[in-house]
Amino acid sequence: MPHPLKTLARNCGLAALAAAMLVLATPGAYAEEDMWPILKKQAFGDRPIKEDGMVVLEAPQKVEDAALVPLTVRVPPEVKGKLKSLTLFIDNNPDPKVATLTFGPAQGTGGERSFATRVRVDNFSHARAVLETEDGSLHMATKFLAAAGGCAAMQAKDPDADTADIGKTIVRVFPPALESNPIWSGQVMVKHPNENGMQLDINTAKFIPARYVKTVTVKRDGELVFKLDGTFSISTNPNFRFTFGKGKENNLDVVIVDTDGAVFKGQTQPKGS
Amino acid sequence: MCTPNLISRKTFLKAGLALAAIPLLPHAPAYAAPADVSEIAPGVYVHQGRYEVQSPENRGDMSNASFVVGDEAVAVIDTSGSEVMGEELREAIRAVTNKPIKYVINTHMHPDHVFGNAAFKQDKPTYVGHYKLARALGTRAESYITASKEMMGEKAFAGSEIILPTMGIKEPTTLDLGDRKLLLEPMPTAHTDNDLIITDLETNTLFLGDLLFSQHIPTLDGSIKGWLAVLDELSKRKVDRVVPGHGPASMEFPQALGPERRYLTTVEKDVRQDIAEGKTLSEATKTAGFSEKNNWKLFDQYHVRNVTAAFAELEWE
Repeated sequence: MPHPLKTLARNCGLAALAAAMLVLATPGAYAEEDMWPILKKQAFGDRPIKEDGMVVLEAPQKVEDAALVPLTVRVPPEVKGKLKSLTLFIDNNPDPKVATLTFGPAQGTGGERSFATRVRVDNFSHARAVLETEDGSLHMATKFLAAAGGCAAMQAKDPDADTADIGKTIVRVFPPALESNPIWSGQVMVKHPNENGMQLDINTAKFIPARYVKTVTVKRDGELVFKLDGTFSISTNPNFRFTFGKGKENNLDVVIVDTDGAVFKGQTQPKGS
Repeated sequence: MCTPNLISRKTFLKAGLALAAIPLLPHAPAYAAPADVSEIAPGVYVHQGRYEVQSPENRGDMSNASFVVGDEAVAVIDTSGSEVMGEELREAIRAVTNKPIKYVINTHMHPDHVFGNAAFKQDKPTYVGHYKLARALGTRAESYITASKEMMGEKAFAGSEIILPTMGIKEPTTLDLGDRKLLLEPMPTAHTDNDLIITDLETNTLFLGDLLFSQHIPTLDGSIKGWLAVLDELSKRKVDRVVPGHGPASMEFPQALGPERRYLTTVEKDVRQDIAEGKTLSEATKTAGFSEKNNWKLFDQYHVRNVTAAFAELEWE
């Protein structure tokens, strides 16, 4: 179970005020008050988590648009074995668990592996990437996000356009410069508002129901690269860049399911193989 | 919970100001002094906002606020960024005319254009905006209040509130101020999804709100493609002068559109190229559009956000 959802509409004002008061506090001082011990216990129980450089998290130094914060996770090439899972957290978000990826046989080995997406950041918070390697050990990287976006993080710029072609999916493959490279990269993007269920519809005075991308399953030539379980902490129009292992055809097939049970599919035929 | 108790807060503010003004705070007036306005055409007045972000010192005075005086009534076009600034604008109107303030028009949703609305409640005006303004403000009210209070401080923000439009404009509409007509036109998504432009037909003056920035870097909170398309359409118009949302009180048209179009075109071109080369969003934010850096005030505050928004839009082409 994820951390119980806070009602943004009620709590965000207080949260943002708290953020204002914490502007001068150091990240370290703030970390002592954050949610991580609880989140960690919920997600991983008492298993030890090492911050040992086996996973690297990149985030912008200054968050410019809290609705669209790019996060990149890298697993350095020195880490050789297969990966089991990767979980991203934004500690102080209404739903702190951003996504969990469970890797499959087409994940690829023999080079740097990476995963990038864009998230909403509701408040000053740590972002975390927890990697589970083949032997079941856990490795973490953290970054402090100074996002002063507050609840503005949750507003769509053009809600009509966002819902107009919901489900439109684009899948791309980027062949490496050297095609013999065992690690290739791909991208999946889907038009979806990823509604958090916390916005009031001014016309009906009711909350717009939550509707977000729940799972993304990516296969290369029919073999699983990863399955992602997501939350509305992922930005509107979810976007994923990832690596996969070079295969025969290097065709990617993607199946996306949202919380309404709608299924969206996409695929690509790359140049070269 | 976030909405302040307006009456008591306002009263408190005034009492506090009255006490404090005499010896301690040279910037705080004992009563609302009239805002500086210039008459850019007969009966058309503009207060020019500063090229700044919200602060206790500027009290939200960062955007242009205007009013047009007809034979029978006054229309306000944008009210600046706080109740205090709205009061000063109202004083400036009262220094010019005692005619009733019948319309308060907002060109779009941004806090620096709407938080002065509260100062006009006493006039019981019709609050007018794009038909999507109510939704946009409704979903953002709480975050706008929280963020503006945080940036300006309690005192400068006191009395400010979100007032939703009572008249939503979906089709071109004229408002009559008494032998003087204003034409109101809703625009498709551009700077925001709720941009409204106003033409004073008497003097052929065009009020573009934040569809036009001058000196102050444009800020993108809608659609870069939509914005450029709107600018293409607008540039064909024949008007005698234009009032930008940020910039000089009055500018020549269509020349005034030039720098903004160049900026948006540059961002669009660079971002498109980055996308074509398979670059990521974070890579694009480090390079795209930086050739414009020295052309704008507040570039460091807004440019990366603009590139982010443009990238998220253009990657769907």
